[in-house]
Amino acid sequence: MDHIRNFCIIAHIDHGKSTLADRLIQACDGVTDRKFRDQLLDSMDIERERGITIKSNTVTLSYTAKNGKVYELNLIDTPGHVDFSHEVRRSLMSCEGALILVDAAQGVEAQTVANRYLALEYDLELIPVINKIDLPAADIERAQEEIESDLGLEPFDAVLCSAKKGIGISDVLEAVVEKLPAPKGDPEAPLQAFIFDAQYDAYRGVILLVRVVHGHIRAKQRIHFMNSGVDYGVEEVGRKKLEHEECDILDAGEVGYVIAGIKAIRDISIGDTITDADFPTTECLPGYTEAKPVVFSSFYPMARDDYEDLTKALEKLSVNDASLTFEKDTSAALGFGFRCGFLGLLHLDVIQERLFREFGMSLLLTAPSVVYKVTMVNGDVLSVDNPSYFPDPGSIEEVSEPYIMAAIIIPEEFLGVVMELCRDHRAAETNFQYLSTGRVEVRSEMPLGEVLFEFYDRLKNITRGYGSFDYEMLDYRRSEIVKVDILVNRETVDALAQLVHRDKARPRALRYCERLADAIPRQNFKIPIQGAIGGTIIARTTINAFRKDVTAKCYGGDITRKRKLLEKQKAGKKKMKTIGSVDIPQEAFLAVLKTDKDRS
Amino acid sequence: MAARAGLYVHIPFCSAICPYCDFAVVRDSPSGRSQYLSLIEREVSLLAASWETEIETVYFGGGTPSALSPAQFATLATMLRERLPIAPDARWHLEANPEDIEEQRIAAWRAEDVTFLSLGMQSFSDSKLKFLGRRHRGEDAQKALACAQAGGFETVSVDLIFGLPQNRGEDLDLSLEVVDQHEVDHVSLYQLTFHEGTPFDQRRQSGGLVELDNDRQADLYLELLEQLGRCGLTPYEVSNLARSQQHQSRHNRKYWRRDPYLGVGLGAHSFDGQRRWWNVRDWKGYVARLEDGQLPQEEIETLTSEEARQETIMLALRTTAGLDLDQLKRDFGFDLAAQRPRAYEQWRQSGHLIQDGVILRPQLHGLLVADAIARDFF
Repeated sequence: MDHIRNFCIIAHIDHGKSTLADRLIQACDGVTDRKFRDQLLDSMDIERERGITIKSNTVTLSYTAKNGKVYELNLIDTPGHVDFSHEVRRSLMSCEGALILVDAAQGVEAQTVANRYLALEYDLELIPVINKIDLPAADIERAQEEIESDLGLEPFDAVLCSAKKGIGISDVLEAVVEKLPAPKGDPEAPLQAFIFDAQYDAYRGVILLVRVVHGHIRAKQRIHFMNSGVDYGVEEVGRKKLEHEECDILDAGEVGYVIAGIKAIRDISIGDTITDADFPTTECLPGYTEAKPVVFSSFYPMARDDYEDLTKALEKLSVNDASLTFEKDTSAALGFGFRCGFLGLLHLDVIQERLFREFGMSLLLTAPSVVYKVTMVNGDVLSVDNPSYFPDPGSIEEVSEPYIMAAIIIPEEFLGVVMELCRDHRAAETNFQYLSTGRVEVRSEMPLGEVLFEFYDRLKNITRGYGSFDYEMLDYRRSEIVKVDILVNRETVDALAQLVHRDKARPRALRYCERLADAIPRQNFKIPIQGAIGGTIIARTTINAFRKDVTAKCYGGDITRKRKLLEKQKAGKKKMKTIGSVDIPQEAFLAVLKTDKDRS
Repeated sequence: MAARAGLYVHIPFCSAICPYCDFAVVRDSPSGRSQYLSLIEREVSLLAASWETEIETVYFGGGTPSALSPAQFATLATMLRERLPIAPDARWHLEANPEDIEEQRIAAWRAEDVTFLSLGMQSFSDSKLKFLGRRHRGEDAQKALACAQAGGFETVSVDLIFGLPQNRGEDLDLSLEVVDQHEVDHVSLYQLTFHEGTPFDQRRQSGGLVELDNDRQADLYLELLEQLGRCGLTPYEVSNLARSQQHQSRHNRKYWRRDPYLGVGLGAHSFDGQRRWWNVRDWKGYVARLEDGQLPQEEIETLTSEEARQETIMLALRTTAGLDLDQLKRDFGFDLAAQRPRAYEQWRQSGHLIQDGVILRPQLHGLLVADAIARDFF
């Protein structure tokens, strides 16, 4: 086991994690030049394009160190984003050490700090790595200072490299071998293996990525999933060397893959412990926590005929993504759709984009909502994530909403505007501490629901791109949540209802009203557009009746063209949804439900 | 076919092409003109065998029909009379540009029974004419009007354009004054329209011209109708006003009443009661087809009963004569009140339409939304 090193790379987004992984793989001849492409471990198009990692991945590398010995290095690639922190945790649990990557120009950022705390929880050995030292803006001294003051690590241990230019890569590999501990485990003990991720393959079914802690696993072995309580027969084990490479046995301390005839990822639980069905261990490894969706939105196909296709597409995606939940939803305004649950806004974004790219689905998304806890007068407690199911205010005793601890790292000149931003987003308590030279970490307790609306974009905007953001869930707190309805010609449009804090109700309602008024074509009567809480109108705009709709000239005899034009307009009108005798084109819903980011 | 027909003759020549125009037009040239007239003769010869309906109105539209020389016009008129069943008492209409108004031409037109002369003034204001790309000046237009009015026509009509883009010096007062002073008997009042592909439309798309907003367009139109009303002119169609029924354009009324008409020339449209067909719009195609001995038709369309009904509704609602609900029932078995109850109720309640016995008649603000009403009744 002395020759094995299991490690991951943790970093803020854009600090060069995937590029460093690519270089380490190349340096170990893990890939031929012909097969090389950027972001080797990111297999989804969307990961490669956005430069983000969504799914964990792993690669086994063979490295001949300067001391002449050959090491088996298992590099576990992890997502960096908070939405996927469950996956990060599981990756960390499979390692003994981690490279903590810092951009020489950007320095330590919010996710770096958050990940550093995570690594501490799992007692990992950490090697700071300063990347991008070739950049003109690189400030190695400052980065070292920040490593010391913000991360509490020894600055002079930091390895200097430029993954992009291939500088210092062997130093990184040597540090992995020298400074990270080998795994400990008992090869003779009953099998105890940890599932840190799973991938779905159309031909082979579910491919489990595992870390063997004790014992060993091999083909034909019967295995038992301790949390799910299910048994499967192992078909194949092996190591991931970019391709799957079958082997006889995965021993204690090793990382590899297991194929066991599992049809869908939701049939098992990621984070579960595998043991031998016949010689089981009694001890389940910690780390099994179900990733619960925290953000909900309803998805409706733009073309109503696409409902069946949307059903199939969501089923296919969920085979590979157990944290995506969906159930049928119907709207009088938008027809049939699905209420979907996500780990966060990025997750939602990624799913929407995959539905579009991989399945060609154009969708209307209702305003994202968190899960509210509603205590009824009769003592019942309901979880409500959909405005349609928000109970009558008279029957509610109190409502509480989820709070997060937001961590924002910014250059100090932006402290004032960021504090104000937090206040704007209903922060309960905001503190800050100075990090190294000129930088501040703001920690703010705020409702998760507030982060769903323009928070990221405003933060990026007011800090000119320098602000970095991360959060963790805190608790539920009592809050003044109301349901805001939007009425067109005095009739409620169900798909536009929202749950918001009372203080935010009026501006939010007014914005919706204004956008609707812009997007609904004038009709032959005046149309009031209103926002309301219960029976109380809190916002109002009006669409004036159109007064001129006639072509100037109608002779020279070209009657056909004119008739066809009117017919076409009439057909367009038939496709519209009629609410309160008002014809609303699908584009109007789109205009209202679009986020501001999309609008710019 | 009970109704008598109209004849439309398209004269596509213009000395310059106006930046808002989307009609079938070509640059004027003497050789082009004589070539075209011989082609028209060929087309008429081909058509003559199959057209039997008596023709009671003849209309020369353009382009610029007044660009024809007196001799050319006389030859064309004679040819038409010889080959087509034109009634001896037929009314002849002609579109003319003010710069072509002079005694010789007027005499030639009068000699061929032209009773309705439509003058393409567009405006009497120099700055507005310049913006519109017209070649005459306000003063010339006034002189031309006086000259035409002295020519002995039954009706002299003035075309006016309104609804210039924002801040482009809309000046209708002067034109209204001229109409009033000269006691004009007929006005065609067009809102400036941005037709796809025209230079004006390109300028609109690039933001150089800003279309008047919907409310302003409506206000302007109603205001103009009111002022023209004070001059003794009453609207009988969305864009047409006349001093009396005698002064209305009998030819144009045929389009709105779905009477048959025969069109000859570049891009001309025809209708025989059941079928509509139209000629190619491009010069080369028109020449090639006729030189090949073929009719230059681009497409023929046989109307279904539903299409005919839609046309009836759409056209009738443009006129103050209105829509005859009884006739709609007789001709198409279509009971509007029963089959489009919501729209029927709504448009009457809002006062855009009033019911006058079996006639559903648009009010002035109803004319302004005639397309919307028609769509609802389709």
